[in-house]
Amino acid sequence: MSAIEADSIWKEYRRPHVRATTFKEAALALLRGQRGYDEFWALQDVSFTVEQGEAIGLVGPNGSGKSTMLGILARVLRPTRGAVEVTGRVCPLLELGTGFHPDLTGRENVFLNASLLGSGHRQTAARYGDIVDFAELSDFMDAPVKTYSTGMVIRLGFSIAIHMEPDILLIDEVLGVGDEHFQHKSYARLAEFKRAGKTLFVVSHSLTGITTVCDRAIWLDRGHIVTDGDADEVVRQYHDAVIAWEQSLAEAKARDASAS
Amino acid sequence: MSELLEVVRYREVLWNLVRRNLKVRYKNSILGFAWSLLNPLMQIGVWYFVFKILFGRDEPNFMALLVTGFLPWLFFSQTVLDSTACVTQEMALVKKAYFPRTILPLSVLLSNLIHLAFAFIVLLALYAVWGVDVTIYYLWVIPATLLVAVFAYGLSAMLAAWSVFYADVRFIIGNLIGLWFFLTPVLYPVYHVLKGSLKNPDNVVEIFLSAHLEPLKKVFMLDPLTIGVESYRSALLYGGENFIKIQVTPAMTELEQANALALQEGLRADYPLLPYILGAVAIAVATAIIGQWVFQRKAESFAEQG
Ligand SMILES: Nc1ncnc2c1ncn2[C@@H]1O[C@H](COP(=O)(O)OP(=O)(O)OP(=O)(O)O)[C@@H](O)[C@H]1O
Ligand SMILES: [Mg+2]
Repeated sequence: MSAIEADSIWKEYRRPHVRATTFKEAALALLRGQRGYDEFWALQDVSFTVEQGEAIGLVGPNGSGKSTMLGILARVLRPTRGAVEVTGRVCPLLELGTGFHPDLTGRENVFLNASLLGSGHRQTAARYGDIVDFAELSDFMDAPVKTYSTGMVIRLGFSIAIHMEPDILLIDEVLGVGDEHFQHKSYARLAEFKRAGKTLFVVSHSLTGITTVCDRAIWLDRGHIVTDGDADEVVRQYHDAVIAWEQSLAEAKARDASAS
Repeated sequence: MSELLEVVRYREVLWNLVRRNLKVRYKNSILGFAWSLLNPLMQIGVWYFVFKILFGRDEPNFMALLVTGFLPWLFFSQTVLDSTACVTQEMALVKKAYFPRTILPLSVLLSNLIHLAFAFIVLLALYAVWGVDVTIYYLWVIPATLLVAVFAYGLSAMLAAWSVFYADVRFIIGNLIGLWFFLTPVLYPVYHVLKGSLKNPDNVVEIFLSAHLEPLKKVFMLDPLTIGVESYRSALLYGGENFIKIQVTPAMTELEQANALALQEGLRADYPLLPYILGAVAIAVATAIIGQWVFQRKAESFAEQG
């Protein structure tokens, strides 16, 4: 059975020329007959299927639509066209540090966050010890999260997510922030996940991270899928393309320099 | 409807947000929760000073009428004002995971219901001091609160959604609520408006008002807040009696008393309560339905904003 089925996903963002955040600006733009925004297609006809137990990586340059895709899988964003079907319990870890309330303590945030991920109070209470142990933050749980370092926030977020017993774990670029030791632990835990037959969907710019964790990868560029296949192969192609592009840039620059 | 099921499924998030709202409101204050009792008490102290001492208002029960009517108003206005920030403040959660967004305005409503309950405790303590009797009619407070809550929720949901896209909503509402306060019978009893007339209108506003006085009075009576505020008084102070009520005092001459009673009976005949109450309920329910519809439609793109 497939865990994720994305069928021809299109996502349009409206990018305001100058953000009209007041009625006056909106009204003026309307009067002038301007739409006041550009349409921008962040994803164009993206389709793929992820089988249960697969670990899949999403790579591509900044702004290519990776976070958008993950947001759609997490149901935080709605695709403009197309449909996604996700089977199983999803745990998203989207972008850095989101979902924590800076004024609340670590403990309070664990309960709030876990409830967002569908865990009841008693369930969370039962898992609480494990969550804190894994994050290695037992001395900080009664301090407000605003006093945490970036890495500490990520550790807590990651630890909550993996203790929710998800069937599908969505991770957006959070593995690089923990320290060396925590990264080892996280990768080990992800490997365990895979062995347990869970589905992993990882967005990362760390290509070695992707090849370590994932069997398969998708290379996304400007909202299109370039290739979809074996992780090592796709990562190599992506890497080569970047190198080739950089070389052509350097050559163009050299040509410009010699021409002038 | 399916959204309601989702809210039930995610009720844990709702409880957590309510708990959080209550905690954060008095964060960094030494007295903490005591403020939810102290705030209404201090407000009442200010009024006592202004109305009793400065203006020398000495109608019987003046303070009791004022404070009783203020409770549902405070609940309403605070809910509506809080709602304008409820989505933007929780953007981190909105971007983090899916949950039925309806939980956001709902959490504002529930938090303020809890504050209302605290204020009620203060009120009962004051009643004990003022010697107001506890009666079975107190129970009417429940439907009256429900009416105000449904109405407040509808407006909240709508405003919560709009203020994600237009920051102006917050400022406009801040001012409108200030105006609405004076259009709601909090500082005066409802009969003041119903008996009111403009003898010599001499500017545009007054001419407009006097030309449309009767329909405007009907609108005033249909305002769920008018009904809510006055129902509180009826339930808690008038022993369930019709709230179009003129206080008769022993200080009045017999003729004055008779006139007051005649006026009261005339107004009660002109404004039969039942249709107005039903009208107000209909308005509140319609507001809630429209508000929820607007909210759900806008909620789809919350995460794309800011
Ligand atoms: N809320 C938004 N409103 C308008 N445009 C947006 C919004 N979010 C993203 N975009 C645009 O959509 C495109 C894809 O963004 P996305 O965040 O998915 O990229 P990404 O692949 O995750 O990039 P990165 O590697 O930098 O994380 C970008 O061009 C971005 O400008
Ligand atoms: Mg991204």
